[in-house]
Amino acid sequence: MRKWRCRNCGFIYDEALGLPAEGIAPGTRWADVPEDWYCPDCGTEKSDFEMEPA
Amino acid sequence: MMLPTQLANTIADPRAYADGEAIHAAFRTVRQTAPLAQAQPDGYDPFWVVSRHADVMTIERQNDIFHNGDRSTFLSPKEGETMVRNLVGEPNLIRSLVSVDGQEHRDLRGIVFPHVTPKAIRAWEDSIRVIAREFVDVMLKTNGKCDFAKDVALLYPLRVIMTVLGVPPEDEPFMLRLTQELFSNADPELNRLGKGIGEASAEDGLKALMQVAQDLEAYFSEVTKKYRANPTSHVNSLIANAKINGEYLNYRQMMGYYIIAATAGHDTTSNTTSAAMWALAERPDMFAQIKKDPALINAFVEESIRWAVPVKHFMRTATQDTEVAGQKIKKDDWLMLAYQSATRDEAVFDQPFEFRLDRAGAQQIAFGYGAHVCLGQHLARMEMRILWEELLPKLKSVELAGKPENTISNFVCGPKRVPITFTLN
Repeated sequence: MRKWRCRNCGFIYDEALGLPAEGIAPGTRWADVPEDWYCPDCGTEKSDFEMEPA
Repeated sequence: MMLPTQLANTIADPRAYADGEAIHAAFRTVRQTAPLAQAQPDGYDPFWVVSRHADVMTIERQNDIFHNGDRSTFLSPKEGETMVRNLVGEPNLIRSLVSVDGQEHRDLRGIVFPHVTPKAIRAWEDSIRVIAREFVDVMLKTNGKCDFAKDVALLYPLRVIMTVLGVPPEDEPFMLRLTQELFSNADPELNRLGKGIGEASAEDGLKALMQVAQDLEAYFSEVTKKYRANPTSHVNSLIANAKINGEYLNYRQMMGYYIIAATAGHDTTSNTTSAAMWALAERPDMFAQIKKDPALINAFVEESIRWAVPVKHFMRTATQDTEVAGQKIKKDDWLMLAYQSATRDEAVFDQPFEFRLDRAGAQQIAFGYGAHVCLGQHLARMEMRILWEELLPKLKSVELAGKPENTISNFVCGPKRVPITFTLN
């Protein structure tokens, strides 16, 4: 399980936790997050997230 | 550790920001000697100066521990903050997105947020391009010589944001003047009193700001009536008709929302656009490089935001005892997030005082970071990109035709004059 960070605001998408409030179940891999999903804090698109170092 | 008073005074001095070199030198010293230390300029309560990129990000991500609205959100002298509290019962004259926290902030931000995501603003791209072409045409008709700040950079972002808000063009001069009076209250050329630092009492200065806020509120009260009667998709209509828990926004929330959208929504972009042209006019090699490869425009815009850093700081207040970078921060301590410094942090940016198109890695944080990151950041980037896409192909050369001049302010500011000469293809 990895974490992905929004470049613009630092929001973290944690694969282990998912985002149940947005219908993304815990354990959802980053690759399976919909391509049109965007950062819930600042609107940045998925392509502008960076993987956190392990 | 407390910074020397002279250094603290410089960090608070609007004239140091107008000078440019003076404020850069001060923050360079802070980063080298005491990157997270307290300061107490004459007339101010003590505050922490957060000078490093990493520490600014750490604090901004902890928005439950570091509040925006418990004290003044911008650096305010003791006397000024006391007077504001006596007048409005809160530490900030205007209750806007940048001066609220927690659920109130989430609720208010959520009203406009879905309409300013990268995906949502694509719907505006064509209209904004039309506006950009209008202002490029204005510039091209000046016979090769203009004040880029006054003729283009001040007016183009103003037209863009007013279009998005739903403010008619005939009201733009009013909005521009009041924005300048609100943000440039230390600059005698732009403030309402026409007086410089030390020439008016703090009370008179605050009264003038109150009048500016009241003029804006009078205008926006009519806007509320208009958009409640006939709702549209404009941002002002969203604000007028928004409800939280079934209730319209209260008066201060609503006025604060209109005011920040109508002022911060263009002044920051104007400052960045002016600073970008200033940088371009001094760097013919970079100008040629971008003309040759227009794909570099995105990098140029991003670097110009870091370079201009149009918001010099915001203040935060600790809600509990905590620790940042080994320093003990106590509950109620006041902290300055010094974007002016963080965007020049040598630990993060290679050659931070060079304007470079090849920066990779560290994110510039001039839009802030965390939950309070600039709501309009994507719109700002898009409108600047479009302007350069329209303007640069038409220019053959550009150079300074005199000394540019910065606004005298320690808060939201940038170049107020950028005289240039240019030739066309």
